Amino acid sequence: MLVSLAWRNIWRQPVRSVLSLIGLAFSSLLLVFMLSFQFGVYDTIKIGALGLFDGFGQFQPEGYDDDPDISKQLPGSQALLAADQIKGVSATAPRASSFAILANGDTSFGAAVIGVDPAREPAVSTLYSTISEGRYLEPEDSAAIVMGAGLVRNLGLALGDNVTMLGTGNDGAVAADVLELVGIFSTGVNAVDRQITQMPLARFQETYNMGENVNVIALRGPDFNGVIRAAPDLQGLAEAEGAVYLRWDDLQPEVRQMITLDLSTAMLMYGIMIVVVVFILLNTLYMSVLERTREFGGLMAIGMRPAQIGAMVWLELVFLSLLGAGIGIALGAGITIWVENVGISFPGMEDVLGQWGISGRVYPDLSFFSASIGPGIIVGSIIILGLIPYRRILGLEPVSAMGAA
Amino acid sequence: MKPIVSCRGITKVFGKGELAVHALRGIDLDIMEGDFATLAGPSGSGKTTLLNMVGALDHPTAGEVAIDGQPLSGMSKSALSDLRLNKIGFIFQAYNLVPVLSARENVEFVLRLLRVEPAERRRRADEALAEVGLQGMEGRRPSALSGGQQQRVAIARALVARPRIVLADEPTANLDSTTTKELVDLMYRLNQESGITFLIGTHDPRVMEHSKRHIEMNDGQIESDTRG
Repeated sequence: MLVSLAWRNIWRQPVRSVLSLIGLAFSSLLLVFMLSFQFGVYDTIKIGALGLFDGFGQFQPEGYDDDPDISKQLPGSQALLAADQIKGVSATAPRASSFAILANGDTSFGAAVIGVDPAREPAVSTLYSTISEGRYLEPEDSAAIVMGAGLVRNLGLALGDNVTMLGTGNDGAVAADVLELVGIFSTGVNAVDRQITQMPLARFQETYNMGENVNVIALRGPDFNGVIRAAPDLQGLAEAEGAVYLRWDDLQPEVRQMITLDLSTAMLMYGIMIVVVVFILLNTLYMSVLERTREFGGLMAIGMRPAQIGAMVWLELVFLSLLGAGIGIALGAGITIWVENVGISFPGMEDVLGQWGISGRVYPDLSFFSASIGPGIIVGSIIILGLIPYRRILGLEPVSAMGAA
Repeated sequence: MKPIVSCRGITKVFGKGELAVHALRGIDLDIMEGDFATLAGPSGSGKTTLLNMVGALDHPTAGEVAIDGQPLSGMSKSALSDLRLNKIGFIFQAYNLVPVLSARENVEFVLRLLRVEPAERRRRADEALAEVGLQGMEGRRPSALSGGQQQRVAIARALVARPRIVLADEPTANLDSTTTKELVDLMYRLNQESGITFLIGTHDPRVMEHSKRHIEMNDGQIESDTRG
């Protein structure tokens, strides 16, 4: 009875109800799209920033992240390489790294030299896809190196030139080699293009006298969040092998900080929007309750309990908010799915976005969370604040209510 | 006969101090089973206030009202609602129908509150509407009915739960003379045939003509109480 009455009461003032629904639906739509877009951008940034080189997670020796010394090597690297068998992880790649002086004639620059397995590395990082000249490392390569365009420019090198590498080996002895520049990459990230080089892992291990040991095993999965979900298993494996597992936010804390800061600002804006929308709607709905005080008096007179009338009015609020939010979610999800397919470009911002590993278009990421949290807060607020008119009705006296204008 | 309504020393004061208005001044009144009583008097004489007390819609400042021997003082809002639902039918000057419900649904509404089964509810509602001459108009909403028809729906709603007493406050005030006569005849017939007790607050001489008991009020007191 109350359900049917509440539903019909909503449509007594169709214009008012439709306007309320439009307000609710539009704010819900906006929240669904904006949150999905925001989370999509964050995912793009994370994948772009981590996928380029770090990988979505890494096994490292204890303390290596704070002090990346070549002598800190991973025990049990074979077992850790088998992490690609864990659900959510699709590939692993071993790496060894050190800092070295790279020289071309009289010109020299310091850079990170990373030994990678050319067969496994492309499955973990996307650096190979940014090769702008020459080629990426191949399994049969030995004295080969790929370098960022900025470093190549600074050293005055050209493809096919030899570069001299001088570093400190695992045993403290000099580690020196002469490598041929076979590829130049241009990631768009200045720090990477000026400071990173890669060479075959086997040659690195030989030059730096570290046997078959490695410093890091990077990993990746088909889905970023899948690797996040696999973190407990990966941590367990790392502990069993005497290593540590670093999640994405350990590897790129600045990305996490940027996202946290941006999200905090956005949440403040969304919060203000929700408060404004909720109070505008409640005001409208509360007015409709006040207008019907006389009718409530009549209902009490014929034997309806105040709590039943209050529940009826509360149900009206619930129906209206659920309907508005439902329409908003449906429309918001529809628009978001469409934009997920076509993406949004930001002309003129390529350089800025490139620093975060974002190239070209940005795509929203619709999830249950992004679709439901904003409208859910609006509906929840209205449902809770709807208890205000409910309590007012509980306090009504039939005679005074019937005498209301 | 035993009284359905018993009022003893009913006093109602609105406001306080110098602004206090004494709407009722120590009313003693019994409404007996089967009465068709009219309550008359000039504006401000206390008719509506007394009807509100008898209908458990308002609380007296002093004195005691009992319905069917049950004192109203100390009862909770919910208990008073239940008492009105089970024992009292109301007919208002402004009809007070629920605008989003059809005539049948308005009548059924009281039965729904009483948790009567749907089939029984519909049968009784249709019967009550037929009794007030609204057969064929069951599906119409109040906005599609004339004032007289709306008041008939209100009478059907007041009667459908077989209350102990029907209280009517100026039920014909908004109606033309033909409709007034029809409605008064109807209420009188229901009183005569079904023995339903009526207490009608009115100014209307056409209503008073039918009354078996006439109570005249003035200045918050009963001036006369005559049977005829």
